[in-house]
Amino acid sequence: MALLTRFDTPASLRDLPAGSPFYDNWHDFIDLELAPSTPGTNFGEFYDASDTDVNTLGTHSLVWMAFPRRVLMPHRDDRLAAFVEAERTPGGDIGNRNVQDEYCEWRVERNAAGKITRVTFTTESPEYWEALWAVDRTRVVALYRSLVSPAVVEADLHIGGVYQRRNRWNEADGIVHLMQSINTLRAALGLAEGSAMTPTTQITGVPPPSPLPTAADNYEMPAVANTSVDPRVKYDVAALVRKPLSVTLREPIGLYIAGYDDTGWTKPDGSPVGNYWKIIRGRPGQILRLEYRVPPAAGFVVGDIRIGGRRIEWGGQIAEHVTVTAGGIAGVRP
Amino acid sequence: MEAKKKTRSKKQSNQAALTPLQHLEPLELAIQPQAAAAQLNRVVDTLGKFLPKLPQGILIPALSGDPGAEIPGAEPEPVYALKARADIQGNTIPGFNKDHQHFLFFRIQNVKRAKAWLRWIAPLISSMDDVLTWVRAFRALRLRLGTEPPMCATWVNIAFSYRAIARLVGKADALLFGDESFRQGLAERSTYLGDPTRPSNRGHRSRWVVGGPKNEADILVIVAADDPEDLVTVKDSIKERAIRSGLRLLFEQRGNTLPGDLHGHEHFGFKDGVSQPGVRGKVSAAPGDFITPRYIAHSDGRARIFAKPGQLLLWPGQFLLGEPRQDPEHPYLSAPPASNFPSWAALGSYLVCRRLRQDVPAFWKFAIAAGSSLGMTAEEFASRLVGRWPSGAPIMRTPGADNNALAGDPWANNHFIFNDDTRASILRPIGGYAGDAFPQASQDMLGSICPHFAHIRKTNPRDSATDLGKPDDSMLRMILRRGIPFGPPVVGVKRPSPRLLKQERGLMFISYGSTIEDQFEFLTRRWSNSPIQPDFGGHDPVIGQRDQRGDRTRFIDFPTPAGPRRIHIKNEWVIPTGGGYFFSPPIRAIRDVLGS
Repeated sequence: MALLTRFDTPASLRDLPAGSPFYDNWHDFIDLELAPSTPGTNFGEFYDASDTDVNTLGTHSLVWMAFPRRVLMPHRDDRLAAFVEAERTPGGDIGNRNVQDEYCEWRVERNAAGKITRVTFTTESPEYWEALWAVDRTRVVALYRSLVSPAVVEADLHIGGVYQRRNRWNEADGIVHLMQSINTLRAALGLAEGSAMTPTTQITGVPPPSPLPTAADNYEMPAVANTSVDPRVKYDVAALVRKPLSVTLREPIGLYIAGYDDTGWTKPDGSPVGNYWKIIRGRPGQILRLEYRVPPAAGFVVGDIRIGGRRIEWGGQIAEHVTVTAGGIAGVRP
Repeated sequence: MEAKKKTRSKKQSNQAALTPLQHLEPLELAIQPQAAAAQLNRVVDTLGKFLPKLPQGILIPALSGDPGAEIPGAEPEPVYALKARADIQGNTIPGFNKDHQHFLFFRIQNVKRAKAWLRWIAPLISSMDDVLTWVRAFRALRLRLGTEPPMCATWVNIAFSYRAIARLVGKADALLFGDESFRQGLAERSTYLGDPTRPSNRGHRSRWVVGGPKNEADILVIVAADDPEDLVTVKDSIKERAIRSGLRLLFEQRGNTLPGDLHGHEHFGFKDGVSQPGVRGKVSAAPGDFITPRYIAHSDGRARIFAKPGQLLLWPGQFLLGEPRQDPEHPYLSAPPASNFPSWAALGSYLVCRRLRQDVPAFWKFAIAAGSSLGMTAEEFASRLVGRWPSGAPIMRTPGADNNALAGDPWANNHFIFNDDTRASILRPIGGYAGDAFPQASQDMLGSICPHFAHIRKTNPRDSATDLGKPDDSMLRMILRRGIPFGPPVVGVKRPSPRLLKQERGLMFISYGSTIEDQFEFLTRRWSNSPIQPDFGGHDPVIGQRDQRGDRTRFIDFPTPAGPRRIHIKNEWVIPTGGGYFFSPPIRAIRDVLGS
């Protein structure tokens, strides 16, 4: 298989005209983040598809829950408490995106009665917006205006010309891209790449010897973070690498919303809800920005909908039915 | 790590971008009922010829203290002394496992009289101690005789809906049950479980024989017996006394294991219940006196997490309220018990009952048509849907053909993982057992042997990471299954008559757990009903339900050498027809709290 000639933008977005240097810059960003080959156990590897030629044998999509497992598990006996924690900033009600650490963040909007009217999810990386900013600030401002508010002005988005990830319109007053400190594409790439080499072991209960032996299967993997995404990526990449296979992320590299399941959601009259999901950025299978909002003509709002008989009061109730994905491919060197 | 190139190269073309392997064109199935009838007859006749018996001469040791089963330095497991054993209902742990069972669904009409009936039935309720003592005696006798001993027992268990508990002890106490799904009940959660949303659909909750919005049961009594006559005597006695006490019998259902070589199989013809978690805990403080026998040698590190090959050990709080639970981040350490229940409910368990009708002809007609289109026999194709061959032998260990000897070997028939090659277990000595000599399973991370949609892979991903992360999390989702078939079998019947084919049959699905939402509902909605969780590949084609605004079409991406082939499933063969969410209380609470 031929080398990849250019890393594409997430979901092949075309926020700037073809020919813009932005696209080459984006390629370079990904290319520089990935080593040509990160050797793993049993001579498997994680590779950069623009540097290393591999014959693809199969694909494997990694999928995980958008709602933060790190918040859910301490509240395993009180789900409501988890929903509250994932949304309510201490002392405020603007959304606790600081704990939404599964590479998916959401923002809740409510009406005067406190009912939810819209929930917006994003998996867009801050690096993409920084890269866009570096080439065309005007376009960034225009996108912010269309996604968040016509009131956005350029000065809101930077300090001394440096784009601010936690600007007003991506924190207190809106959501455009991920802002939680480790929700970055760089971190995701590092997680995937670093998963190639994974030592063992926890099931024997005795201190592991040195040097560390290789995990023979997932029951021998070392403890990892209590999120959904970290073990999902670590275990799957490590397992493919030790086959041994050459593994990388599938083009276009990105973090995507894979699915959303509104089975058993009902309108106030008890009938099934309509399709109130709207893909704002990306495309089916590669969704970057997703909105859940009831059309005004319906005569009710999101907060009137029931999920399995329970009224939607928190964005987390929706987030636990949203899944995030990153595509993987595996193969062998020619 | 190789040195990274740092030169920024300008690359203009995207033409050679990596292309993911493409799906083949969807497979269009044409199922002609008439044309398929002959094939169906052949298939159902062929099924039912199994000899998955224990290999000759092997004597499963009687359960008793076995000092060699203790792992030095392991976290101590709770001891269930007589008082606790007499309190825990026996169908939860260790399980009735009887060939004949009867299910009685009652509605309380008069609380005072219902309480009197509860005080009457309380001494009849079979405890963990009753069942375990019997099982131990049975096994000891089998060890002595070298054959199945002629022992019979009849057992009774009872469970209550949230509504019943609220009526019997007051709403304030009932509200202390933290499981919101239990408080809501199965009918309210039905469409969330993917059940039909259209009232015209035969599986819609409004059409259920019990457990629908207008016929929810308050009390479920389960009677189980070795002898069918004993069963009838005891259930008639309970029923008669209940009706005299003002309880209204909403529905009753007889269940029987299938006859002959189909014993232990469900109506589609597949061996059921092969994989069950093992419950940690001890019967006494004596060394090695475990509830679940331990067969793996200490020299094999997996002895810490498996009781026998493939049988994961779970802390009892996963099934009994108030007991130590699984640590969400670790495969063998415990976590503190739950506390979101009234104090009198400790040692009780949530019970999920689903009466699932099985349309056997529909299932096999689909398998015949799809298998034929893919160049496979119906049995081969259907076994891929299940993940096991009809005998119970796992596809992972015998991909090419069924293997009755493997199916009958309890130390081999559940020993496999998905993501890596399975390594042989090192077993402690088992008299007469030469060891697991069957070929071990090869890794199947991409689901080409046991597809990601296969029922056993959907509901038990084993070593695989999932949408909730590591396999340790999957251990939190496991349930104790205690189901039994109902209705006359059709598999194994030569040229079944139209009348027989039309008769109702299915599974009385019964499960126990310490949470309904995070165990039964999680497995059902999040994994079986989802085409992308825990992995992409399609819906669970056996029990999965889907209702997207009335559209009930499911699909599977069937692996072929040329790539996955999408097959849409328009027919349904598992139809919900009743059930309920219940709580199976500790026995003393039946008399002292609910009946007081």
